[in-house]
Amino acid sequence: MALIPTDLHVRDEAVTEINSVTADRTWYHYVLLGGAVLFGIISLGFVGTIFWSSLPTWVHHGWTLLTGKGWSSPSGPFGGLAMIVGTFETSIIALILAVLIGLGTSISIVFLLPRRIRNIVATLVELLAAVPSVVYGLWGLLVLSPWMTVTVNPWLNSWPFAKFLFGNPGQEFGTSLLLASIVLGIMILPTFVAVSREVIAVVPQDLIEASLSLGATRWQVIREVVLPTAKVGLFGATFLALARATGETVAVALVAGGVADAQFHLLYPGTSIAAWIALTFGESQGNEISALMALGVLLMLLNFGLSMISRALVNRQRRILAIV
Amino acid sequence: MSDMIELNEPVEDGHLVRDEIRRISKSVHARRVTTSRVMMVLCGVALLIAAVPLVMLIAELIKNGLPVLNKAFFTSEPQTPTLIAPNATGGVSNAIVGSLALTVYASVLAIPLGVLVGVFLSESSSKMASTLRVIAQTMAGAPSILMGLFAFSFIVHDLNIGFSALAGSFALAVLMMPVIIITTEIAVRNVPNSLREAGLALGARSHKVSLRIVLPSALSGIVTGVILAISRAVGETAPVLLVIGGGFINQWRPLDPVSSLPLSIFENAKSQWPSQRAQVWGVALVLVAFVFVMSLTARIWASRKQQVRN
Repeated sequence: MALIPTDLHVRDEAVTEINSVTADRTWYHYVLLGGAVLFGIISLGFVGTIFWSSLPTWVHHGWTLLTGKGWSSPSGPFGGLAMIVGTFETSIIALILAVLIGLGTSISIVFLLPRRIRNIVATLVELLAAVPSVVYGLWGLLVLSPWMTVTVNPWLNSWPFAKFLFGNPGQEFGTSLLLASIVLGIMILPTFVAVSREVIAVVPQDLIEASLSLGATRWQVIREVVLPTAKVGLFGATFLALARATGETVAVALVAGGVADAQFHLLYPGTSIAAWIALTFGESQGNEISALMALGVLLMLLNFGLSMISRALVNRQRRILAIV
Repeated sequence: MSDMIELNEPVEDGHLVRDEIRRISKSVHARRVTTSRVMMVLCGVALLIAAVPLVMLIAELIKNGLPVLNKAFFTSEPQTPTLIAPNATGGVSNAIVGSLALTVYASVLAIPLGVLVGVFLSESSSKMASTLRVIAQTMAGAPSILMGLFAFSFIVHDLNIGFSALAGSFALAVLMMPVIIITTEIAVRNVPNSLREAGLALGARSHKVSLRIVLPSALSGIVTGVILAISRAVGETAPVLLVIGGGFINQWRPLDPVSSLPLSIFENAKSQWPSQRAQVWGVALVLVAFVFVMSLTARIWASRKQQVRN
């Protein structure tokens, strides 16, 4: 899940377009165009091939895939409800964790840390994002899972009404939806921090100084000026983190338990769309491959939709700041 | 009229009102300052909480990973432990060779095309360019398992090549390309316009300006993007999981199945043999060390470039 520099860094100044200025079309221009066309074909192939392979499932068992509860290899029926529920459950809990901690982290990076340390912390955040997801999965499975089973789960089960939220005590297997959510939360934290820090840091200094001069305390400045100004961009960061969480595969495959069972008890094992594809693809054939491709289509639609929303929000934030 | 009445009030009442205002404002001020302090401390606590996983992860990696690193780890092929020899795990040379092969093939596929498209996006403002930009940005965030599905249907199934290093590196190339495109475009756009215009003013043809002036100036930015893309591809499990097949032997031929470092972590993390679970930490340590070195190199390179410009 390495961080990709967003277009936040692009200069606003228009670039002199060499080709259009001189109307000088040489072989070079056609090579560039050829590369662009090839990339366009590859990306069309990317969407098209996956959709095409999933077509039999959509035609014959479209609704089963969306609402069916059981997944029986190798012949079906293939119901995807458990994976869809699991994806939303784990991603949303992870998102809540990441936003709560990430917002505090971004604020303290921008407003509390001295400039020198700020760069070091930014590098650390980048490193946290660069750790391969399978390593997070390994850590969750071999370190976090035993600790949760011994320490956290009994405590959670002692809550009032724990049965409704977490399921019957003593039914845990070490891997659970809650564990997957926590690991996911740690994984999407750097993504959220990277974008939200950027959004908070570009709030105009004038606004901050104006409200300080009116006697506002530091927290009042943040609550009344910085967060409202950065609101749209922060939502953009949230959607980006959500998109990352829904698409995360191997870590969830390792720590969620891999049981296709549509339920909401957080301490029971479950799975997500991406994790289920990774876990079952190796042994599947024919119809099942098509059904897994159909799950892939769902994942693609979900992810593309979320990242489109996120990009629109970040762009709108930039326009808002241009006006301010 | 009410102002007049207040002015006519007796002096002692004025004192009382003023004291009351002072008292209230003092308590409000105290409350505001306390709230501010508490919230800022909470933010600092959030920062510390965010740091805990990184510290714990690195500590566990070093504690569990270092002891299993030895010569055999790097040079011998893996074995399956048996009841007679429960500690005979062999090494992971197959995964190292496989990861190297996959990365090299994927780079060969992705870097030239990625750089071309990136330069195209920076030098064109056509409808096509903006569409491709959105596509690249969307694909950069796409779940990596989808690249695996794509490579499976296209290379393994449609072209009937089978589980192979080629299929894995194709999946990784699709994953790397958007990253290279985006960073190349940013790097080329950040080249000062004055350089381009100077070249054009001297009468250089457009491709000369682009190849001789703009690209060399943008080179360090492009290299940074390539390093980022490679460090991301090396650590990815999901896209290669579906298509490379795995296997225990050192092999790098493109059309045969290979293994890779992340794949060997994924497959052995739930192993029933404690010796294999211990070895997985070593693989993870090697992988993380490699990725960290790559990311830090990219970052140092990028910051050095900025200093030169300033």
